[in-house]
Amino acid sequence: MPNIHGKAYAMNTISPMKPWKTYILRFFFFIWRHYKPLGDGLVELSFIHFARWVIVPRYSFPRLSEQQPNNDLRYDYLLFFSNFNGTWNQYIDAFSAVLFEGLNLIWRWSEKFPGSRPVTPFKNFIVRGQIETDYYYTAYPYAATNDVKAAHRVQAAFDDFERLSNGMSAVKFAEAYQQFLVKVQRDLGETGEAPVGT
Amino acid sequence: MSNQSGSIYGLTILSPIQDELHLEISHSLAIRMYLQTLPIDGKGPFGKVSSTHMARLVVLDDVVYFGMPSCEEHLQSKYLIFESNFDGDLETYLKRLATEATEEVHSIWKHCVGYPGVTDVAAFIAYMKRCQVETTLYFADVNDKTVQQTLRALQTQSAVTSFIEKNQGKSPADLQKAFVEFSKHLGNTPPPKPGSIEGKEFTDKLL
Repeated sequence: MPNIHGKAYAMNTISPMKPWKTYILRFFFFIWRHYKPLGDGLVELSFIHFARWVIVPRYSFPRLSEQQPNNDLRYDYLLFFSNFNGTWNQYIDAFSAVLFEGLNLIWRWSEKFPGSRPVTPFKNFIVRGQIETDYYYTAYPYAATNDVKAAHRVQAAFDDFERLSNGMSAVKFAEAYQQFLVKVQRDLGETGEAPVGT
Repeated sequence: MSNQSGSIYGLTILSPIQDELHLEISHSLAIRMYLQTLPIDGKGPFGKVSSTHMARLVVLDDVVYFGMPSCEEHLQSKYLIFESNFDGDLETYLKRLATEATEEVHSIWKHCVGYPGVTDVAAFIAYMKRCQVETTLYFADVNDKTVQQTLRALQTQSAVTSFIEKNQGKSPADLQKAFVEFSKHLGNTPPPKPGSIEGKEFTDKLL
């Protein structure tokens, strides 16, 4: 299934916005880029590897040849791409439960957006605007976002321990090893196939 | 710059797809049929360009109508959306795509309007940049690690887990000896290839 690869799901959505409203959305994105409360919320959720919002103004769909027919659009379009872990339902439920204010600020400028709560009309809105992925690649398919973060913590602790334990007596080494275990114990594990969800 | 988060670049490209009414198989369908045949592991185009964390290709048939009171409208061309998250700068990445995934890139983009081929790399880069749309807001959860660093870290995590499990209860001298050997072996072992689904069985070979 091209939307899913290992533990990652590729979601794409598109929604129309009246052009004057895109200026407001750009303003909010500017605020988020510089003050980052939305980014903090996404880091807290910790199941999104990468996500992006792209505003395509109605006159900015690329036209590369005189033979290519001109688009005559009334709306600008908001594209959203996400690489997340878990199932589609879990993702939308978590978004609606945790980030509903941020989501409302982003999508309220799109036509017919029902709000991110209650979740059922929100899901219907997403379904209507979702585009299927035709090809999806990830360099680490069996690793969720939390796996990646934990692995980097283990790597840093391992590098430190390897460096510091060099030349220690066996007894000192054993003590340092215990401290190393305490440091990494929450981050141990291995990657593998995702559980089957709905 | 909104296309970047830390050291990760978020590329979004919309390439208009050719439309020839007399064809039995439209260009958009031909792209979809070809994409279905591509491997999704390291043997695929983005596995070859090893700085790619995640990438997707999507055929956008049309915009979506959400119902009254909004107006129904349609695109005059279909678009191939290429979304990629990679390490480094755009020019280097596009050059690597053209030179290291030549066959796949050509087989996909030959269906797009204005595609100049990949033989002239500079022309290909210029073409892709004409199709690029600016990312308005970009988020990368881990934005300071390369693909290689992440693959290495995942390998270390799995190997260290196995090492700890298999060396419980050893005397300090035996534990130290085992760790030194393990550490040396781990350092000499290359990380798994991008796109690999090898896990525990890969790191077990280290012990």
